[in-house]
This record gives sequence, C-alpha cells and structure tokens, in this order.
Amino acid sequence: MLEGIPILSLVILVPLIGAFVTLGLGRYGKQARVVALAFSALAFVLSLLMTYEFVTDPTSEATGYHNGYQFYEEYAWSDSLGVSYIVGIDGISLPLFVLTTLLCMLAILFSWDTEKRQKEYFGLMLILEVGVLGVFVSLDYFMFYVFWEVVLIPMYFMIGIWGGPKKDYAAIKFFIYTHVASLALLVAIMAMYFEAGLQTFSMEAIAAESVGFAKGVQVAIFAAMFFGFGVKLPMVPFHTWLPDAHVEAPTAGSVLLAGLLLKMGGYGIIRVAIPSLPEGASELSILMAVIGVVSIVYGAMLCLAQKDLKKMVAYSSISHMGFVLLGFATLSQVGIVAGVFMMFAHGLVTAVLFMMCGVMQHKCGTRLIPMLGGLSKRMPIAATLMTAGFLASLGLPGLVSFAAEFMVFYATFVKWSLWVLVPVVAVVVTAAYYLWALQRSMFGPMTDRIDTSHLKDMDWFEYVPVAALMALIAVFGVFPGLIFSRIDSAVEIVMRLFGGG
Amino acid sequence: MTVLNMLEPFMPQLILVLFALLLPALDYLFKDKRLLAVATLMPLVGVAVAIVAWMFFDAWTPPASSVPLVEIDLFSGLFTLVFLSVGIIVVLTSADFVRGDRNQGEYYALILLAVTGMTLVAEATDLFVIFVGLEIAGISSFALSGFRKREKRSSEAATKYFIVGGFSSALTLFAISLFYGVAGTTSISALGPAIEGAFSSFEGSDSVAMLATVLVLAGFGFKVAAVPFHMWAPDVYEGAPTPISGLLAAASKKMGFAAFFKVFLIGLVVTKTDWEVAIALIAIITMTVGNLIAVSQTNIKRMLAYSSIAQAGYLLIALPVGTQYAVAGAMFHIMTHAFMKSGAFMVVAGMGSAAIGEKLEDFKGLGKRSPFLALAMALFLLSLAGIPPLAGFASKFVLFSSAVYGSIDPGPGWLIWLAVAAVLNSALSLYYYARVIKYMYMDSGSEEKVKVPRWTMAAILIALFMTVFLGVFFDATVDVCLRAAEAFTDLPLGL
Repeated sequence: MLEGIPILSLVILVPLIGAFVTLGLGRYGKQARVVALAFSALAFVLSLLMTYEFVTDPTSEATGYHNGYQFYEEYAWSDSLGVSYIVGIDGISLPLFVLTTLLCMLAILFSWDTEKRQKEYFGLMLILEVGVLGVFVSLDYFMFYVFWEVVLIPMYFMIGIWGGPKKDYAAIKFFIYTHVASLALLVAIMAMYFEAGLQTFSMEAIAAESVGFAKGVQVAIFAAMFFGFGVKLPMVPFHTWLPDAHVEAPTAGSVLLAGLLLKMGGYGIIRVAIPSLPEGASELSILMAVIGVVSIVYGAMLCLAQKDLKKMVAYSSISHMGFVLLGFATLSQVGIVAGVFMMFAHGLVTAVLFMMCGVMQHKCGTRLIPMLGGLSKRMPIAATLMTAGFLASLGLPGLVSFAAEFMVFYATFVKWSLWVLVPVVAVVVTAAYYLWALQRSMFGPMTDRIDTSHLKDMDWFEYVPVAALMALIAVFGVFPGLIFSRIDSAVEIVMRLFGGG
Repeated sequence: MTVLNMLEPFMPQLILVLFALLLPALDYLFKDKRLLAVATLMPLVGVAVAIVAWMFFDAWTPPASSVPLVEIDLFSGLFTLVFLSVGIIVVLTSADFVRGDRNQGEYYALILLAVTGMTLVAEATDLFVIFVGLEIAGISSFALSGFRKREKRSSEAATKYFIVGGFSSALTLFAISLFYGVAGTTSISALGPAIEGAFSSFEGSDSVAMLATVLVLAGFGFKVAAVPFHMWAPDVYEGAPTPISGLLAAASKKMGFAAFFKVFLIGLVVTKTDWEVAIALIAIITMTVGNLIAVSQTNIKRMLAYSSIAQAGYLLIALPVGTQYAVAGAMFHIMTHAFMKSGAFMVVAGMGSAAIGEKLEDFKGLGKRSPFLALAMALFLLSLAGIPPLAGFASKFVLFSSAVYGSIDPGPGWLIWLAVAAVLNSALSLYYYARVIKYMYMDSGSEEKVKVPRWTMAAILIALFMTVFLGVFFDATVDVCLRAAEAFTDLPLGL
C-alpha cells in the first residue's frame, strides 16, 4: 500500500509544515491549537498506517527493505562531505517513533486552555516533534546530530517562556547541560567518521568499519558517546538539570521532555554506541551497569524526600531510566529488548504522571503534597487516574512497566547473578514513595490548607489524553508481545553485528 | 607587455577605486544621499556577480596574471566574495544609519577603498603587496571608525585603532625586511625554499627568521585580534559607527586571516614545527579569553567584539592543523561568520536607527517590539553558537573536524585538543548568546513598536538568507573551499 511513498519523510514533514502554518497564523492566532492538533493528528495517523504495514520479521519483500530497516529512503545531500539524508525504521525505533507522534498529539490536546502566546507555543511543540521524529529514524550521523540539536531550541523556549517562577535558571541550565553533552557526541561522531575514513556519515557504513577499530579507540569513542547520550538519559551524576527543567516547564513540556527527550539518550546508546563499538561497550559495561543501578537506587531515594509531586515524578524518571541503562549494560539480547521496551513503557506512564501533576497545579493551585489531602472526594476522576498512573509506574503486574522491569531483572540476574538484589530493593522504595504520596494527597481527611470550595474535577481535554494513555498502558501490559516481537527481531540483527566483529 | 596587460589582474580593484574617486564628487551632485549608497553598491554588486558567475557557474575564467605580484584564484575569489558581500550589507545599512551625517561621499568612498585593500591582500603573492593591501584597508578603516568625529567615543576609537594599527604595520614591515634579509626575496612562494637554503648556507639565519616569524605573527595577530593583541577590538567596535563595526568584524578581520594563511601556510610552511605549538596555544587562549570576557559584557557591541575574538581563535586552529581540509574549513567558517556576524551588527545598527540603545537590556521584549529584528538576531546568534541547521554549525563542523582528522593523520596527536577546546568553547559561548535571546523573547520591556528602516531590513535579509542557506545547502560552497585550498600545495590533504 505504501510502496513508493516516502512515508517516514512524510511523517516528519507534516509537523514541520504544521509548525510554519501555526506560527504564521497572524491574527487567527486563537485557532493555533486547532491547527496544531490537526497536523499532529495527521502525523499520528500516518505513523499508524506505517505501523500497519510494518513487518515483524522483515524479509526483502517488506516495504522499502534495506538491511533490516524498512521504509528506507536515501538521498545525497553533500557529496564533498559525504552527508546523505538517510531514514529507515526497525523494531527498535518503531515503538519510539509512534510514541512520539502519539505523545505530541496528546500533549497538544492537553494544553488546550493555554492562553499565553498560543501561536508560538503550539508551533514550537510541532518543531520539537520534527526533531524527535528525525532522531528516531535518521541513519546518517550528520542528520542525526542536526535533528538532535534541533530538539533543544523549542524546549529551551518552552521552559523559558511558559515556565514557572525559576524558569530563567532552569531554561539556561537545560540548554547548556544538554548542549555540552551534544558536543561530546559531536566529537565522537567526528572521530568515528575519520577513523573509518570512508568519507560518509552513513551509520551503517561506519558501523561496518568501526567494529574493527582498535580496542583503545573504541573505548575512547564509546566513552564520549556514552557521556553524550547519558546526560540526556539522564544518568547520575549528570542528572541535575532534569528536576529543575521539569519543575519549571509547563505540563506539556514536561510530558515531551520525560516522554520523548530522555528516550533520545537511550535510543542513541542502543542505535549507535553499542552496535558500532562492541568492544568499547563490553569494556565499559560494568561502568554502565553501576551507573544504571546508582541511578535506580539514588533516584528512588530522592523521590522519598520530595514534597513537590512534580519533582517526585521527575526523580522517578531518573530511577526508571536507570533500568534502561542497566538493561543495555547486560549486552544480552533479552536485556536490550527489555531496555527498549522500558523506554516505551516509561514514555506512556510518565506522560500520565506529568499530566496528573499538571491537573493538580491547575485545579488546586499547588503541587505540594503537604498542602493536598482527601481530594478523591471532590475529584473522583483525577483520583482514579492518578492512582492508576502511580500503580503503573511502580510496576504493578498487568501494566506495562512490570513486564519491562521484570525482564531487566532477569537479564541482570543471568549476567551478574545475585547483584540483581540491589536494584530489586529499589522497587520496594518506589512502591513506598508512590503509595505514600497518593495517600497524603488523594485520600485521608479533606485538606484545609487550600481553598477547596470551588474545586472542580478534570476537564475533558485533560482526562481524554490521560485515559487514552491508561488504556494503552493496560493493553500493552496484558499483551506485551505486541511490541516485544518487533523489538526482538530488530535487536537480533543488532546482536549479530555486535557478535560479528 | 603592454600597460593594459599589466593592469588586467587589477581589474576588480580598478573598478572599485574608480567609483571611490567619483563618490566625493557625486556627493555634490545628489540631493538624495541614498543615491550615493546606490552608486557604491554598483561596483560591489557588479564584481560580486562576476565572481559568483566564475566560481559557481563556470561562466568565465579569469586571465592568468601577467605580473608576479598578484594572482586571481579560487582562494582570492572566495575571500573577495566575502569582502564584497560584507561591503554590500554594510553599505545598505549605512544608507539608513548615516542618513543625517555630513561627508557621506567620503564615507562611502572609504568603504570602497577599504574593500579594495582587502581584496588586494587576498590576491597577493608577494609580501609587499600584502603590506600595501593591509595599509590601504587599514587607513580607510581608521578614518571610518572616526567618521562621527564630534562623538567622543568615535574619535577615541579612531585614535586607538590608528595607534595600534600603525604599530602592527610597523611590526609587519620590520618582519618583511628581516625575511628579505634572510631569503633575498619577498615572493611568498619562493620564501620557503629560500629560507631553507639560507639555513644551510649562513649561520644565525635561523634566529633571524624566527624573530621575523614572531614579528609577523604579532603584526597579523593585531589584525585578527588574537589574544594578547586583542585589546583594541572591543573599544573600537563599540565606538565606531555600528555598520563600520560590522565591516571591521566581518571583513577586515578576515583580511588578516587571508594574510595569515598565505604567509604561514605557503611561505613559512617549511618551519611549521617551530611555530605550530605557539599558534595552537594562541588559538586556545584566544577563544577561551574571548568567550569568558564576552559573558560579562553589558554592551551588545562589546559582546559581539569579544565573540569575534573567540571566533578568531577558532579560525586560528587551521594554522597548526595545516591541512588543505583545515584551510577549506577555515575559509568556509570565514564565509559563514561574515554573514552571521555582520548580520548581528546590522540588527544593532537597525536598532540604532530607531534610537534604541546598545545595552543588552535594550533587547528586552524585542520579540514583541519587532518580531523581524528579534527573529533575525536569534538566528544569527544561534548560528554563531553553532546550532544546526544554521550556517555556523556546518562551518564549525568542517573546521573542528579538521583538527580531529589532523590528529589521526598526519598528526601530531595533540591536535585533537584544539578540537576539544573549540567544542567546549562553543558550549560556553552558547551561554551569552542564549542570554540575548532570553532578553528578546522571555523578558518584557518597552511595548513601543520598532520600525525597521527599509534598507537596513534588506541588508539583514541578505545576511539572514545566507545564514540559513549555507547551513542547509553547504555542498557547493564546501566543494569550492576544498578546491580553493588546493592552492596550498605543500599541505597534506587531510580528508
């Protein structure tokens, strides 16, 4: 059906056009949300069409098949440097790609009542979508880096213009932190390019050459890349930009930041760093595992201490992304699949959590847990959805995170046997902070510390996206195989490269 | 050989000079002084079109030079194109900026003369021609900086620039005389072999050559405002009329680099091991000092001046790396920097025409007051910081990557630290560029709308177009830069 249609480019192009249209609305600025929603929905529908046509175990008959990738497109851009526009998708990028179009659409819907500078707000969101989508399908380092950096600017403005009281500090900190990391990545890319000496930035071509690099070179380049991707992930000790950025960002910004931008870091590690530099990865796998475990445990501990709901959710992201890193660090098929699945799961769950924090801020005027209490009586929908979201995040069996966490533990046990107990303990802490927060904010006696007389439950544009996400969380929790099988066959190809040397 | 034959290679300069001589007379003729700007644009655009037709469309080929002093090749063509483009942008903005001033004929004539001097440096194959070019451009720029002689800052800038400039010229001239003493020639391409011959034939010549190298390094260092020869730049850029600050930062500085490349990478490439460490250190110190001091500036022109100093540090990387790819990268960055930096200065000039100050705080709320100026400035600054997909990213990518590759082949391995330093500095620079963007979009200031004068807007649009265009479609330009760098035959390819 999609034979001959550049579907991936189309999905990227739609929000780009949408961004220009939205920004150029002029005095029809009030309609920005409608226009932005329409374009993001179109991108989502197109990405679903593409998913429908996607083949789990691709053979050369699959649409646009090329070495394990589907819907492959390649156009030369600069011959003198060897830059091409190459996009393609496989089982690793597919869940993240569709997650991107989905979350952007829902985030736009969730921001329905934004009043401040609407054109810019929705336009920037669409530009952000372009950047993230581009990262997930680029198969050329130069393009990858361009998309990677394009993401920074809209997010900087979203925090800086629509953010909370300390937005200036948070915005610039986010910008500098992640930009420094990007530059480490840039140097790593240059080193790969020249060390391979092929005069091309094609990831595949360079990977074929780079697996044979000397061990020292591999370790050095891998370390630089790991830093570049790890800050974005984020990993302890380079995580401090995240809580600041989240606390100050508007809700939709947080959703996209945690749901998508963090995934870029994880995706980079599995798409680029590990398969291209297998020896470097094995040398540093213990380091990755240690950082992963520290992020899991330390992040969870920090959550216990938070008074601000949103800050707690932000720290929980650090903890959960630690699972991704731990899964990757095992360098085993099941661990990597688990890591990718965890990213997808976390994207869905964390979006729910941040939206719920946004609802609290919106309706109650505060997100401080000690100020809240007993809200379930007045806000039954909110209480239900928040409970469901918290349970999903703490890894309740039957919901999507459980499968991912369980697999990470399994892979860790296979590789490092009883050391797995360290991150397992963190799960107990996770359950503790979520349930404790829930109890203090939603249940118990009604709070008298804020004015509850005019308290209303969630608006339609708030509960529709949250409920939709919860439905997906349940579906993929019960049938994780829907995604597993796709990731699995793609990781198998990666592992083959990895072992092949 | 007829006189006409001898004049042929100087055709572009002759056209520029002819108009420069006419302009003061035209000043009496035209009531509407904007016609003067039009008259100035004619030769600039004409020569620029001819060069683009030659370099990018192969419409014609320049004749081989019949005098052993200058040579028109792709290298000089690219530089000339940069000078002419900046000239066009500056003249367009000046039409609004100096509208009420006296002596506009002389003002435009001096701009043309400055550009003439710069093009001469780019085409020079002889040390003396370089010197003559530097002087022509230098003296015109001194006068231009002090154009508003009743303004104290302007006069102070001119005086400072004149003293420092005169001093650096003296150093350069002294260096040339020493080189002549050692080598017996002033031809740049013959300099290397002659110096090598002198080393083996008479004693002490190596120390004289070393002294001359240090002197010429200092002399050119002043021109490009490399640390520690940079002190004049912020004062002069601040005091000079804003379009002229743009001319100095975007064109005059690049002339210094043309001279640098010619003398060091053709003439002195035989002694590269003697000077490469020194220049590498200067490069790192220059970019770091420039960026660090830029952070604390409160005046936009001073901030841009320090950012120019930092950019000079990036460009100096090409000398110690010393591959054709590095020179190509530097040339590409010179092109992109010319547009983004002159564009940024023209935005400041546009604000000046609307009687807004030059303090960073004056940018508060500009996003509302003039969406065009704010967007243009934001793009110029992001490009300067090297954010893709803008031109500054593409050129920094080529330039910095040349250091990475240079460290792998042909070495030495420490060249990688130049790339690391440059990359870290880029990150640092983002801080002060982003701060201006924050002022423009995130803070609120005066609500009064700003009207951008039409000619200034045209100038900014040209710079903006090139800043975006070169960032996305860099292939043809990189290709020409690489071919131009082939003129440096003694250098390894490095790609």
